[in-house]
Amino acid sequence: MRDKNTTNVSQSESKAIDMVTSVDSTNNSRRGFFKQAIAGAFGAAAMINVMPEGLKNMAYAAGSDAPEITEVKIGFIPLTDCAPIVVAAEMGFDKKYGIKIVPTKEASWAAVRDKLINGELQGAHVLYGMMYGSQLGIGGQQKDMAVLMTLSNNGQGITLSNQLKDKGVKDGKSLKRVMDNENRDYTFAQTFPTGTHAMWLNYWLAANGIDPVKDVKNIVVPPPQMVANMRIGNMDGYCVGEPWNARAIYDKVGFSVATSQDIWVDHPEKVLGTTADFVAKNPNTARAMIMAVLEASRYIDATQNRAKVVDLISSKSYVNAPKDVIGGRFVGDYENGIGRKWKDPNYMKFFNDGAVSFPYLSDGMWFLTQHKRWGMLKSDPDYLGIAKKINQIGLYTEAATQLGVSVPKDPMRSSKLMDGIVWDGKNPAAYAAGFKIKV
Amino acid sequence: MLKVMIVDSDLNRSKPLKQSLIDNGFEVIAHVGNDMALDSKCRELQPDVVIMDVDSPSRDTLENICVMSMYDARPIVMFSHDGDKAKIKAATQAGVSAYVVGTIPSERLTPVIDAAIARFEEFKNLRSELSLANTKLDERKVIERAKGLLMRQRNLDEDEAYSMLRSMAMQRKVKLADLASQLVEAAKMLIV
Repeated sequence: MRDKNTTNVSQSESKAIDMVTSVDSTNNSRRGFFKQAIAGAFGAAAMINVMPEGLKNMAYAAGSDAPEITEVKIGFIPLTDCAPIVVAAEMGFDKKYGIKIVPTKEASWAAVRDKLINGELQGAHVLYGMMYGSQLGIGGQQKDMAVLMTLSNNGQGITLSNQLKDKGVKDGKSLKRVMDNENRDYTFAQTFPTGTHAMWLNYWLAANGIDPVKDVKNIVVPPPQMVANMRIGNMDGYCVGEPWNARAIYDKVGFSVATSQDIWVDHPEKVLGTTADFVAKNPNTARAMIMAVLEASRYIDATQNRAKVVDLISSKSYVNAPKDVIGGRFVGDYENGIGRKWKDPNYMKFFNDGAVSFPYLSDGMWFLTQHKRWGMLKSDPDYLGIAKKINQIGLYTEAATQLGVSVPKDPMRSSKLMDGIVWDGKNPAAYAAGFKIKV
Repeated sequence: MLKVMIVDSDLNRSKPLKQSLIDNGFEVIAHVGNDMALDSKCRELQPDVVIMDVDSPSRDTLENICVMSMYDARPIVMFSHDGDKAKIKAATQAGVSAYVVGTIPSERLTPVIDAAIARFEEFKNLRSELSLANTKLDERKVIERAKGLLMRQRNLDEDEAYSMLRSMAMQRKVKLADLASQLVEAAKMLIV
């Protein structure tokens, strides 16, 4: 596609287009032509990011920018981090960009995926890893997916049962000790095989010397049923998003042994997901969705707005949990249920000056490395190629730029995880193969 | 007789379904709500088919069993109470879940379940073919690397390196790919 776009422009201009299009390898033809026309007319200075505001508006006003579809159903699962979808719709950020978002409550991640694929939903609040699982056909048919933006960082956690607390477990080390000494089946729950919680749980267990495949029985329980399952002794621990860790403490059935930000500070969590088909056919709607949700995310992250957001999402039609269960951790007020209270600076973030929202390629690739690590992929996939295909950096950059949200220059970021191992998107195959505990 | 497990949050609602399954010669071994212990129940009872409500939150539980243990995965047949065509289409197109039944007349139940099982088997075969193809690709890669090693260290050209590998494999009666990976591993140890 890049070749097609660059055929009738001069050498220096084609370089400029390369700079533009290389950001977005899945560029659709309409946007491509738009960029080509601009690049042709203004040369290197016409890169969208540096285009004068007036000119840009003129270009968009010329009629290429109207959403192809004006009403979009966006699916969500009742969790605190569905907030950007709810706020975008309830507070009218969607209308500013010419669309109407209809939030649609879903009962399972499997249903979210099915409905995205058949077009019943135009977008969804989705587990990051699940988008990559669908792209690779893990546990289902292969389908080309698209990540429009990241919705949230942090704010998940691992809860252990009171029974383990009574055995003296208070952290990963003591859990390992108890499991070594007391030989029985240990059951841990997460939320979806290729999703994020499965990966946080596995990572945390493995970093503590526990093999999540051999040493524990791994099950999936729907998030709202986690607490009830723990109460009747069905499991020893679970990994889930808030408010279901806070709820376990509130109901006195378990305690927080780790937060997901303990595993990886500012880890990628939920994304605004859709299919590659949808983006190809409706680029303007997709961009409007990003803009509406991005503005909602910016609103939520402002401390003074958080209480109002809690009011909104706690209702029965959304998360359906008491305000004080959602509200504490939502602003960083943590307690672990065994005597520790703290103010966590790395609580659930939705914007963080755009750092949350940018769909870093290295974030997407990380989930592939873990799918490989745990044997869901038999061989190394084309890590970078797949991430470039799924993560819509070009479209995101256009949307963010119009909102004046800063866009990182590098589509990779570097993070040190709890075991001291650094992930920076380089050498993904070696990274995946380098863990001591793996399949 | 095929052993069937029905999962539905409203047991009353799926009573007619249960009855027509029995009438059609299936053995209904369990009829459970969105049960707490669905996972262990499924492993314990080993149903041949699971029939569940497309809107059940427990779908992810079943997906996990399928992905984590492809070998004892079961075909899942789904039904929707409102007979919604879009839902039926959705679950047919994606996922491990093989087929969806709306509110179907009793005499069509058997062919639908048969089709679901056939579709599931097809999916399972596709998966094992895919992993076979991936293994072949991995084998080719390691042979290439072993060849490269020999070419560098023994100053051979490509054909010579390949025939050397092949005759070594034949002498030792091992697969070419296995020999190649032994060679690559050995070279790694020497370098370290």
